[in-house]
Amino acid sequence: MAETRKVYLDHSATTPADPRVVEAMLPYLTEKFGNASSVHYFGQEARAAVDKARREVAALIGARANEIVFVSGGTEANNLAIRGICEAVVGDASRSNKGHVITSSIEHSSVRGICEALEKAGKGAWEITRLPAYEEGIVRVEDVRDALRPDTVLISVMLANNEIGTIQPLEEIGALVREERIRGRRHLWLHTDAVQAAGRIPVNVETLGCDLLSLSAHKLYAPKGTGALFVRRGVRLTPQNVGGHQEREKRAGTEGVTGIVAFGTAAKLAREEMAQRSQHDQRLRDRFEAGLSKRVEDIVFNGDRARRLPHLSNISFRFIEGEGLLISLDLQGVAVSTGSACSSGTLEPSPVIRALGRNDELSRGAIRFSFGKDNTDEDLDYVLEVLPRVVEKLRALSPLNKVSSFEFQVSS
Amino acid sequence: MPYSLTFKDHIANPRNAGDLPDANASGEETNPVCGDRMRLSLRVREGRIEAAGFLAYGCPPTLVCGSILTELIVGKTVEEALRLTRKDLLDAVGGLPSRKQHAAALAIETLKAALASGGGAPTFPT
Repeated sequence: MAETRKVYLDHSATTPADPRVVEAMLPYLTEKFGNASSVHYFGQEARAAVDKARREVAALIGARANEIVFVSGGTEANNLAIRGICEAVVGDASRSNKGHVITSSIEHSSVRGICEALEKAGKGAWEITRLPAYEEGIVRVEDVRDALRPDTVLISVMLANNEIGTIQPLEEIGALVREERIRGRRHLWLHTDAVQAAGRIPVNVETLGCDLLSLSAHKLYAPKGTGALFVRRGVRLTPQNVGGHQEREKRAGTEGVTGIVAFGTAAKLAREEMAQRSQHDQRLRDRFEAGLSKRVEDIVFNGDRARRLPHLSNISFRFIEGEGLLISLDLQGVAVSTGSACSSGTLEPSPVIRALGRNDELSRGAIRFSFGKDNTDEDLDYVLEVLPRVVEKLRALSPLNKVSSFEFQVSS
Repeated sequence: MPYSLTFKDHIANPRNAGDLPDANASGEETNPVCGDRMRLSLRVREGRIEAAGFLAYGCPPTLVCGSILTELIVGKTVEEALRLTRKDLLDAVGGLPSRKQHAAALAIETLKAALASGGGAPTFPT
């Protein structure tokens, strides 16, 4: 029997490391193994590599090298940003010990989790406002303005959503924060989780006007385990990892030189190849959506279809549940993801899809397809052949799209 | 959670899928917590289940429990089928993590509802 074709359409979950990235990082496992904090030759060789990577990552987002703090990934970056700011503010004697954070209802689970933890901690010291994202999956700047309170210290809104890819109006929120500062407001910072956006659309911290921005290496064709937080010069935050002087006192712990070198190389490649990659992904994505619309009925596209990342498509398949579809596709070699409750291990379906106002059935039937630079037209042809068959098979099993004939039978 | 090959096979090739056209007993149940739903139709002749058909909406364990349930009950007498427990079904599935065991409970409840619909087991209209 022929081997099943494997098609990976889950690039928003993670990407394969680019061979050029692997090649660049490998020497730092063996001959260039030094600790970047050591004074000797080996240490300085590692230090130089870390500094170079820092410049590359900074260049990807229009920042200065010394504004980049390397961490273990997007989740840690979000923790350091949000908890770091909130704890720094609590320590500020000029403020009352109560604070307010504005975020969106469609944040990544890490930001959601951090905000929930803040709410529970310290006897109501922190209040969180979660902005609606409406049917299009995009927050509105006027809602941010309305939510602002005298004790608001942080606005944390993602740059692009991880499930539906919608791009949030960060520039406008940044302008609002700037306006507030001109009016004399102190203690208000803007954080954005750019993990999904970086490398896929242009990201520039000056244009966005943000003070903190989270990045993850493995979404840009580098290995897992490395991320970065942009911390604008002059912004004070409380480190979450203490016990060392690394990363300008913002993140203690020996630098993961290999991962950092890989991240730097991947950031450089992403900057150089972004236009070409985005065009490639978007062409495949658009072909996919057009082809699927012709072949499968009763599907609903989730999120604004214009203001979204070029590589991602989120679709609800009516009458069926997402994980059954995911497993059926997996058996055919096609890898996708779902926000269905089963996959996430909770009883509630995706809060992101729910936030768009979708009912339970549509929320449970939502599937994310995310394309990448190595996907081909042949991959897509295969998916367009397999997916309609699998959907049809599962729908044949569903009681939701059939009129029950039981009532009169039972009563007869 | 990693699913077994048997499990995946039932997802890819569900047994006895669909409503039986000549059923004389049927039941439908919904799990109020997660919204999973199952429908079972049976053809019962002389106290024995001759054929079964199921429809299910919900997470994969629910689909698989429906499929395996139909395999278990076809050929059984109504009395034997009534004695089937959640645990019997879980054993046949090869076990499920505790938070997925409601799928087996839903299947057994649907079976009981279907068997009761025939005017009370073991007499069925033909």
